[in-house]
This record gives sequence, C-alpha cells and structure tokens, in this order.
Amino acid sequence: MDFMDSIRGMSFFDMHVHMTSRTTDDYQAMADAGVVAVVEPAFWLGQPRTGVDSFRDYFASLVGWERFRASQFGIRHYCTIGLNSKEANQEELAEQVMEILPLFIYKEGVVGVGEIGFDDQTPAEDKYYRAQLELAREAGLPVQIHTPHRDKKQGTSRSMDIAIEHGIDPGMVIVDHNNEETVREVLDRGFWAGFTIYPFTKMGNERMVEVVKQYGPERIMINSAADWGISDPLAVPKTAALMKQRGISDEAIKLVTFTNALTAFAQSGQISLEDLTQPIGIDQSQRYNGSSVLRGGQAPRVDKESTIIK
Amino acid sequence: MNISQMSQTLFYLIEQQANSEKAVNYLQQQADAFHASPQVSAFYRVFTALPRFVGKQLVEVPSDMAFAIERIRPGFTVTGWTIDRLARVWWLLQLPADDQTTYVNTISQLFKAAEMNELVALYSALPVLAHPEAWKFQATEGIRNNIADVQSAIMLHNPYPADYFDEPAWNQLVMKAFFTDKDVTQITGLNERNNARLAKTLADFAAERRAAGRSLPQHMEELMS
Repeated sequence: MDFMDSIRGMSFFDMHVHMTSRTTDDYQAMADAGVVAVVEPAFWLGQPRTGVDSFRDYFASLVGWERFRASQFGIRHYCTIGLNSKEANQEELAEQVMEILPLFIYKEGVVGVGEIGFDDQTPAEDKYYRAQLELAREAGLPVQIHTPHRDKKQGTSRSMDIAIEHGIDPGMVIVDHNNEETVREVLDRGFWAGFTIYPFTKMGNERMVEVVKQYGPERIMINSAADWGISDPLAVPKTAALMKQRGISDEAIKLVTFTNALTAFAQSGQISLEDLTQPIGIDQSQRYNGSSVLRGGQAPRVDKESTIIK
Repeated sequence: MNISQMSQTLFYLIEQQANSEKAVNYLQQQADAFHASPQVSAFYRVFTALPRFVGKQLVEVPSDMAFAIERIRPGFTVTGWTIDRLARVWWLLQLPADDQTTYVNTISQLFKAAEMNELVALYSALPVLAHPEAWKFQATEGIRNNIADVQSAIMLHNPYPADYFDEPAWNQLVMKAFFTDKDVTQITGLNERNNARLAKTLADFAAERRAAGRSLPQHMEELMS
C-alpha cells in the first residue's frame, strides 16, 4: 500500500529541514504528503564560509527568499538563526557573525536560536555556544541544540549542563538528533527531545517507532533534517505512516509529528496554531486592497508523468 | 516633500485605527526615546520588532486621509497596507536626514538584512524618504528581487519609479511586471511613461509569445500602440 493513503488528511510540522539545499520537487512532494510548516535551522553549508557577508546573505535568505519559495507550495517556513558549531572554530569570523546575529534573531518568523551546540567540543565551540545561549535568553527565544556525532552521549549531557548553567529553562530548549542512548536523560531533565530520521547516520524510523512505544509521545518530536546529504524530506510523513501501521495512536502521532514542535517553538511568539490553520494565500500581510490576489509566485503544477514539456 | 508633515499625518492615521492604543503607545515611546538619544541599534531594533507591538491588521484609510497623504506626496498611497507596514514607513521618517551619507548608509543596512515584510515596507517607503535621488539603484534592485510581494511593493501603486527612473530602468519595470504576472494597470505612471522603445520591446515579446503558442498578458497590446 502507498504510505500516503494511510496518512491522508494529517498535517505535519518538520521542525528541522534545510530547504536551501532542496529542490522545488521536494517542496511539492512535502506539500502533497501533508507537511504544512517547517523550521529551517541555520547551519553549515557543506562549504566553509570565509566572510561575514556570506553569513549575512544566508541568514537573509532564510527569512526572505526561502520563506517565499516555501509559500509558493503552501508551506509555512520558519527558521532558527545562529552560528553553527563547526564554523564557530574560525574565531575571527565567529566574532563578526556574533555582531550581526542581533540583526536577525528579532525578525518575524525567527522561532529560536539554532542550531547551536557542539561538533568537536573545542573551547571555541564552548565559547560561542554560551554566547548564543545568552542571546537567546535576552530575546526570550527557544534554543535548538545540535548534538555532536562524535562523543555524542557525553556531548549531549554537556550541552544541557551548560544551558542550565546559563539559566535557560529546559522547557525552552529543543535537544536535537537524539538516539536510544541520549533520550532518557534529555526527557528526565525536562528538555524537548528531537529525533532526526536520516538514513545511515542518524535514526531509522523503525527504531523511532520503538522509542515512542517505550517513552510515549510527551516532549518528543521528529524531523527529517534533510539537507545536501542523502536524506529524505518525506521522513516525517513516512514515519507517521509507519507508526500508524505499527499501532501507535493517532493522538500520539500528532504529538510527535506536529503539536509538540508547535508548542515548543510557539514560545517564541512567532508561530501559533492560528497561523498554521489559516490558508497561506490569504495571509493578511500579503493581501492587496483587502482582497486576496493570486500572486505571481503561486507555483503552477507540472505533470511529471508526461514527456511533453510546455 | 515635507517629511515631518508626512510623519504626523501617518501617525494620525495609525491613531485613527481601531484598537491601536497599544501600537500608538509603543511607537510614541520608541520615537521619544530615539529622538532623545538617536542610537542606530535602537533604530534597527524597533524597525524589525514592531509587528510584535503594533500587530498586522489591515489599515482603514478614510478618503480625507488618503487625500491629505496624496497632497503631501503626490501619487503616494497607503491603501491596502497592513498596520506594521504603515508603522515601519512612519518609523523610517524618524531618522535624522541632515547628513546624507549617514542617512543613506543607515537605511541601506536595513535593506541588506531585511526579511520579506521588511523589504515590502522599505520599498514602499522610497517615495517619502529624504534624498530621493540616492535610492535610484536600490529601487532597481527591488525590480530584480525574486519575491512577488517585494516586486509589487516597488512596481505597483508606488510613485517612486515614475518620478525617478530613467527610461531603461522604467522599461525593465514594465517588462518585469508582465513577466511576473502583475496587474500592470496598478503601475503608477504607466501611460505617462510609455515610450517608443518600450512599445518596440513589447511588440518583439508579443511575437515571441505567439511563436511559442502562448497567450499575451493582459493590457500588453494597449502599450504597444
């Protein structure tokens, strides 16, 4: 059976996906599968940046062009803004990036500071992780933490220790890229636990089903973290379908694929359930003379099965 | 244009809006603080954060207000705007304009870091900013922008291009408007600025469309004669 059949009518919120690296086909497929909103955390682009203007333009694209691109497919695009851990190691550049962050974190649709945290767990990463926690605290924004691939368990504990040390309420922190080894501590300490369904390197979705069965749906949320690597922008709807197939209740599925992420990021004041339930075409801010207009950007559908291109 | 007169009129319009008390208090407080101590960081912060305090509902523009605004700046209209857009344009008018270099640099930084709705407000503000000649290039950047609402903010119901664009820039605006499916009848100065070169370019384009078996955009033929 097509997985789409079992999840028809459900809405999903992919709270970690790097759409900058994806095509319009992905947007179309996500919209068709029920993804209504995404969070795009600022991250490393695969190619190291060498100047602050590259960061500025990247941040501006997350609140500008990418948001518009998503809207053409009826998907609401939010982002978290931050200096990623890997590039925090270029200290001279990191200083300059820290200076421009306040220009962006107060913008509309910026639902947190992220993704920040540790990669190699160097002193420079520690320094800029702390500095950005302070920024998030001042702005009253949630924090989206990237937990390291190497020395993961210890790095995850350390990330949470530091957040608490800086007076951040665990309820304001989404600890991402969890696995079976990290989840218990994250939940026990009152943080939100994000899980990335990403082939080969992060979680598989059969394992995810087991995690939800064991821990329940409270404070757990899943994402695709689809990016420029081999990844799947439909990871959230596919995992919802698998959960359904394996007997997890609709309410629990909704919590881990939609509501928990919304609740966590709504603490920014920049996203609400009303926002998500309003059709995107008649957003008040995008109306003209009180009537909704078909904007030039509304994406026309292309028949992919046809060999004829008009 | 008299900037302080426009500023007062726009503020009066904000005060007239239903349930605008919170917005008015916030904006008045921020303006008082900024006039007392003009910190550029505060200027940026208020510009970015103000939708949180003023909301985003559509503004009601009574006809006497529309008339008053048009008298201060011919062709300028705020009809169909949301209150955050209006408040942002008003806020830009609070920036001291005596030093042109500082003024232009300060606002240019806002363009560089702007999100969608900020860009819409910034391009909407061009007709009422000080040193109007200084914004010509920035205005053409708005035409090059790829976001529909941003394009509309500079192309439609905006008197700045008709007043300041040279002929090549004007013709690009009209062509881009056709290419991006805008209602060109909403372009301020469309007929007044029509010219032989544009008519020729449009005629060539019409021939291209016909060759491809595609229809012509509305109102194109009127500009070709």
